[in-house]
Amino acid sequence: MSRHNLRTVIGFEFFRTVKKRRFWAATLAVPVAVAVLTVLVVVSNQSTRTAEEAQRDASIAFVYTDRSGLVTPELAAEFGGMPAPDADRAVADARSGAVEAYFAYPADPVTEPVQVYGQDLGLFDNGRYDAVARRLLVTAAQQEIGSPQLAALAEGTFDIRAHTYEDGVESAGFGAAIPPLLFLVLFYASIVLLGNQMLNSTLEEKENRVTEMILTTLNPTTLIVGKIISLFLVGLVQTVTFALPVVVAYVFFRANLDLPELDVSQLVFEPGPLAVAALILAGGFVLFTGSLVGIGAVVPTVKEAGNVFAPLIIVMFIPLYVVSTIISDPGAPAVQVLTYFPYTAPVTALLRNAVGALSGVEATVVIVELFVLGFVALRLAVRLFRYGSLEYTRRLSIRTALQQRAGPGIRG
Amino acid sequence: MSTARAEPLVHIAGFRMDFGDRTVIRDLSFDVQAGETFGFLGSNGSGKTTTLRALLGIYQPTAGVLHIDGRPFDPQDGSRLGYLPEERGLYTKEPVLDVMVYFGRLKGMTRQAALTWSRGYLEQVDLADKATTRLDKLSGGQQQKVQLGVTIMSSPDLLILDEPTQGFDPVNRRLLMDIIERQQDAGATVIMVTHQMEEVERLCDRVVLLKDGVAEAYGTVEEVQDRYGGTVVRVEHDKPLPSSPLYDVTVSRAGRTDLVPRPGVEAADVLRELVGAGVDVRGFTTTRTSLEEIFLRVYGAPHETDR
Repeated sequence: MSRHNLRTVIGFEFFRTVKKRRFWAATLAVPVAVAVLTVLVVVSNQSTRTAEEAQRDASIAFVYTDRSGLVTPELAAEFGGMPAPDADRAVADARSGAVEAYFAYPADPVTEPVQVYGQDLGLFDNGRYDAVARRLLVTAAQQEIGSPQLAALAEGTFDIRAHTYEDGVESAGFGAAIPPLLFLVLFYASIVLLGNQMLNSTLEEKENRVTEMILTTLNPTTLIVGKIISLFLVGLVQTVTFALPVVVAYVFFRANLDLPELDVSQLVFEPGPLAVAALILAGGFVLFTGSLVGIGAVVPTVKEAGNVFAPLIIVMFIPLYVVSTIISDPGAPAVQVLTYFPYTAPVTALLRNAVGALSGVEATVVIVELFVLGFVALRLAVRLFRYGSLEYTRRLSIRTALQQRAGPGIRG
Repeated sequence: MSTARAEPLVHIAGFRMDFGDRTVIRDLSFDVQAGETFGFLGSNGSGKTTTLRALLGIYQPTAGVLHIDGRPFDPQDGSRLGYLPEERGLYTKEPVLDVMVYFGRLKGMTRQAALTWSRGYLEQVDLADKATTRLDKLSGGQQQKVQLGVTIMSSPDLLILDEPTQGFDPVNRRLLMDIIERQQDAGATVIMVTHQMEEVERLCDRVVLLKDGVAEAYGTVEEVQDRYGGTVVRVEHDKPLPSSPLYDVTVSRAGRTDLVPRPGVEAADVLRELVGAGVDVRGFTTTRTSLEEIFLRVYGAPHETDR
């Protein structure tokens, strides 16, 4: 009967959520916005690229002066330029339109700007002057170096592959950190996306005065667990809906969007850190869920719930503000506090685990702590729901609720 | 009407309920037999709803035994219970049929059975065309009907109705009473909390009157009437009645007066006293004191009952 009721609660809660237009309006708003943004970026990039190519290939008749000594008359002639005998005269000619443009290269182009004078061609087409002046100076510098390879190296266009070792075994570097970090993303997504729904979901029984009907029909634990599972399923639907346009954009429009290529072969999936990350994620989810249900049971309205929910979310983000300390100095007292304080523990521990800065003992302590406190929070939440949701119009006295001994409905 | 049985369906003994330093129920004991309709009466705030919540495991009693069918109530037995709480409410943003099917499923019905039953019930209470309407789009009375439907789904053995007619107009009250009577005929045990004393007199076999956290009166309706009011003499007469040590006047209007004979005084003594005093007695009938009268006597003036 209990399993039947659990399935019934999950089905009811899940379908009544996903059948609502409001749910889809809110859920689709993100992918639609992403899709619109993608189209805008693609169109904009294409037009920018076309314009840049046109500017790069543009040939304008210009005069120039060069105090750096890098630009030779031969090279300038290839770009359509010729030396100007006098700078002031050249500026005057550019102003009057006697010449299309005048470029004044300073003695040290690294520290001083190249001055460009020309007729106004409009906000965007004025970029042609800049493009030609820049290309001419870059080509002159490359010629000065005398080797395309050295020129590329001077620009820093080369890769470095680092090989580091831990206990004589080559460590995987960032390739091994990324997969466990995905659990951190999942954790944030699940709490931020589902937390508010969890609050509202338990408040609904209270605001609609359904509690007594519910409490005499099924065990409150069954109701709460059913709600959590249904919300998890709703979260999956939302995640897929959110992720779909991102995947489509990456697969089909990667080049247009200038997205970097994801080299999956560089990722290293180490079972240990992944298992620890999964357990921290699960424990953290249980702790936050239990806490949110408890908040929903204590406060009488959605508005008041929001006042409590916001600080909880802020606390969850605190570790991100000290992320560099967490990674570089895991033994620092502040990091230790963040590692073991229940509401900052999941994020801090997930970060440390991803970068290999969480020892086995620390991981065990955090996981046990999260699961134990999560279980306590859930039990407390069920009790608060049981008594708090009968306090239809006022905030529950937690002391009163805790003074109530467990009734038959609380067990199991 | 009632028949005493060895195994009551509901057994409450030595029940005490404290909320912090406030005692709501001091010491309450009563039984409800299977198949009977039981009136649970008391002034506002006397602890009726608290008792029902404790009986249903929502509150944990401070002391005492509260059993249904020999053991504390467990929500897993919810299919055998139909509970209409004083604080009414359903999932108001959901369509009527979805909510009814949900509760039907929680009471152990199959989806199809719950659908069929719900459609039949909505037809019966003239809400068939509202099946797919959201509950919050219905009137208060219509929502009450849906709530009652949810309560009696799965043909429960025990119906607990806390102020069942609250919010109903006379037509729908009649409809509700018909539904309750059908449940009685089907063998359901009914516990009813109400302030409508005529409903109690019409439907209930036995009653308990709760006052100051204890049972002030407990027994069949007739037993309670005999104990608290006894016989009422209704006299139709031509002139004001004289005062007398034999009776008390309870109601007097337009040549008709209700008298309550004092202990040890028979109705015939009252008649002789009146005739002897020269009263032209045009009508003389005896009846039992109404429950409403008893309720007023037990709980006093209105300001005392509202707390």
